[in-house]
Amino acid sequence: MNPLATFNTLIDSPAWPTLQLGLHGLFFLAFLYLLKRLFDLRRAAVLKALPKPKSMVGGGLVLLVLGVAFGAVLAYQASWQLMGMTRPDFIAFMQTYDRRQFNPAHRIARGRIADRRGRVLADSDEAEGRVRRVYPYGPVFAHVIGYQDPTFGATGLEGSANAHLNGSTPADLRAWRDLGQQVITQREPRGQDLVLTLDADLQRLAFAALDGRAGAVVMLRPGDGAVRVLASAPAFDPNRLDPALFKPGDPNARLLNRALQGRYPPGSTFKLVVAAEALAAGQTGPLYCEAQGFTTSARYPLIRDHDYYTARRAGLTWKGHGSLGLSRALAESCNVFFAKLGVQLGHERFAATLNNFLFGQRIPLHSSAYGSLTMVTGEAPRIAKSDQYGLAQASIGQGRVLMSPAHLALITAAIANDGLAVKPRLVASDEPEALARLMTATQARQLQQMMRRVVTEGTARGIAMPGLAIAGKTGTAQNSDGAPHSWFVGFAPADRRAPEQTLAIAVLVEQGGYGSAVAAPLARDLLLQAQQLGLLP
Amino acid sequence: MTAANPTSWQETWTARAPERHWLLLCGFAVSVGFLLIFGAQRSVERLIEARDLLPLALYVPSLIVVHLTLVAVRFRGDQLLVAAVALLSGLGILMHYRLGAFAADTLAGALRQYALYPACMGAMLLVTLAAMRGRYRHLAASPWLWALVSLGLLAALVVTGQRYRGAIYAAGFLTPSEFLKLSVVLYLAAFIAARAAALGAWRYGVLPPARALLPLVAVWLVLCALLLWQRDLGMVAILNVVLLLLLTLGSGRIGYFLLGLAVAVGGSLILLRFFSHSARRIDAWLNPFTDPTGASWQLLQGLSGMYSGGLWGQGFGAGNPEYIPIAASDFVYAVVGEELGFFGSVLVVLFFLLLFQRGFAIALRCRGLFARLLAAGLTAVLAVQTFLNIGGVTKLIPLTGLTLPFISQGGSSLLASLMAVGLLLAISDGEPKGRGRTKRRKA
Repeated sequence: MNPLATFNTLIDSPAWPTLQLGLHGLFFLAFLYLLKRLFDLRRAAVLKALPKPKSMVGGGLVLLVLGVAFGAVLAYQASWQLMGMTRPDFIAFMQTYDRRQFNPAHRIARGRIADRRGRVLADSDEAEGRVRRVYPYGPVFAHVIGYQDPTFGATGLEGSANAHLNGSTPADLRAWRDLGQQVITQREPRGQDLVLTLDADLQRLAFAALDGRAGAVVMLRPGDGAVRVLASAPAFDPNRLDPALFKPGDPNARLLNRALQGRYPPGSTFKLVVAAEALAAGQTGPLYCEAQGFTTSARYPLIRDHDYYTARRAGLTWKGHGSLGLSRALAESCNVFFAKLGVQLGHERFAATLNNFLFGQRIPLHSSAYGSLTMVTGEAPRIAKSDQYGLAQASIGQGRVLMSPAHLALITAAIANDGLAVKPRLVASDEPEALARLMTATQARQLQQMMRRVVTEGTARGIAMPGLAIAGKTGTAQNSDGAPHSWFVGFAPADRRAPEQTLAIAVLVEQGGYGSAVAAPLARDLLLQAQQLGLLP
Repeated sequence: MTAANPTSWQETWTARAPERHWLLLCGFAVSVGFLLIFGAQRSVERLIEARDLLPLALYVPSLIVVHLTLVAVRFRGDQLLVAAVALLSGLGILMHYRLGAFAADTLAGALRQYALYPACMGAMLLVTLAAMRGRYRHLAASPWLWALVSLGLLAALVVTGQRYRGAIYAAGFLTPSEFLKLSVVLYLAAFIAARAAALGAWRYGVLPPARALLPLVAVWLVLCALLLWQRDLGMVAILNVVLLLLLTLGSGRIGYFLLGLAVAVGGSLILLRFFSHSARRIDAWLNPFTDPTGASWQLLQGLSGMYSGGLWGQGFGAGNPEYIPIAASDFVYAVVGEELGFFGSVLVVLFFLLLFQRGFAIALRCRGLFARLLAAGLTAVLAVQTFLNIGGVTKLIPLTGLTLPFISQGGSSLLASLMAVGLLLAISDGEPKGRGRTKRRKA
């Protein structure tokens, strides 16, 4: 009977895990029993060889200092070891860099992300002790929801709401109780769910409508900023992250959230901004618009209207618009008019308007202490006082003015909301928050009527139809890369004044061609589908 | 008083029954720990062999030897201290074994590791035997000898040392700076005990006596300068705390403590400005998540390990200390936290507290000023070192790169710590009756 051999077989036996647990407990018990016996026998082991101390003050002081110092260490240690889940940075570190198989951070069942109707957009699935994130809609929500992956980290809402999803920020009593259970058992830590304002059906339709073309669709409710669609294409499948995705220089830029982070020349959609500027200045025309075009100096090429080129291509001579007022100029998207108007309004007013329209900012759509999902607004470099031509070009949304689809959607929503811009929000529980007043209510209503006219008799008359009164503005933005970007911004219905029953939309199709031919019909289809889904009256 | 002064070994045997009982429990607890580790380390290809029992087979007899020797020499000193040190050392052996220190290829290499704890416990015993019955008072004979020894140790370090992890470590087997803890405390205790009256004579109650302090300040400046040159900030911190404590305790002037506090605050601000090495550590401490994979990697991996340990721990041997760089020396406490859980950490800290409390209790009971200062100084060294180590590992304070007494890997640290305990034990044995007390007062 060899005790070593017996022990070796015992370790191999299936009973060992239980036995080990028992030994672990026995180890602790032995410690505790030793402590108890140290206490019991303390009188028998007093320091007999040394005299008794004269006062107890010294001993008390020693105990106090030692107790405070080491008590502080243990308390602080507990804040990591036991309450580490309330430190989101720490949890994120462990989820990314900790390779211990049994680390509870890997088993956290992250909260689900759901759309406004409760359809699950992101869920957690446990397999082999590791929790994996599952995205039922695949690439449709890839940019806005992002991904959470042990290798590649977390982006989108998965990143900005990481703490919430991991349950690191207990909100109510139940969450605190769950946390207490976690501390004692360390099993099955659970996160909290996140409900969004997005509409999964509409988002899927928008993503499908882009049909593989690079572009973006943003739809939001002007009254409270609830974002219904935030689609960006081309996307990727967050269920299967491909390392090639992260190589710099991807020509398709699949990781780029074009809706929030992409910056494009706005083309004629920018005329809404200039129109608002003119309304504020009280300069609504009429201006005479030469058919031959307009320039500020003979050294620069003429700024002409689209109709001029169409006529020339047909071998005809265009007679021109003649004298135009602001409303008709916007409906016809007359370049000459807006170039002239911009120069007339001047540099100072232009810069002030850009500032007023929130250019050059980063606006968080959802933020926590541990990250935020932001949109960039447009940028327009300062135009020198002497540069009249630059101002003329900028006034028709060309030159160096760049805007993001989300920014244009925000401005359109503000127009529909009688001039007040409301911060776009993605998380249902976030409170609506006014951002800025872009124009007076009177000006906004004038602009609403002008935008309606664009659809009834202007450049977007191709999408006019009974049943839904759409107001909008097309844009065809020249760019150095090739075919022009196709834009449409608008809102519907235009004939009712109920902001909670209105949707604003911005559609961009990169190098899609004419705004009226590509982006406008796409927007119309989506607005009609929103109506069918009950989002519009 | 006869019961307190046993004259035969039989009486000592009876008087030291608690120690025997406690050491027995220590042996039991450590044996259970070994069973746990064996279970966790057993793999398909490696069976547990007789060789694996060797650390345990050396630990238990060394406890027996310590106890029997103390009985044989009719030792009257502390028993609780012996038990606390035995348990902490047992934990140290467990951690050494668990972290693979005994996995040497050659038998000689393995033997050197196996023999470490028994040898150091032997050294502790020898120090006790040599210094008991009041013989430790001879150590107070010449403070300057200890000053010279301290500076010599530092000089040896400067000559042989090599840069490693931002600090200088000795090239060879021993780290001389570990023994500074002993020699500097001896110097301070001897110096202050001899000049207690002069040091306590503050002018107008606000100005410290410059002339009495001058020699001390001179030695101290050289010492600190050399240590700072070697970037051993942890040691500087320990020694300065001990200096303040002993000056205050020896002279009875709280002013030393307040003055020292002011100097310490000013000094650390200046130091941080000039020491990029420590500024980096401070930064990694304050903002660990700005550079998680670089400067803060070790700290965060240690904390991750503790987090995965939770309240009860993964079980001895079942954690993954291999993910924590240099787990065996500086970060051994993180492994304790991971494998024994928060509960286990509290138990370990409790035993440390027991040890320190006992050390200070011995100091407070001593009649002789030198004995009192020596006991307080040695205990303070161990306490501050423990605090700096586990405070650093748990991120309460910046990392100082100090070892955890008795548990961290490192022969010199263990030897110095156990020799300090040996001296404490000798002091707790008391002074022989009838001579010396009046004579020692003014030397």
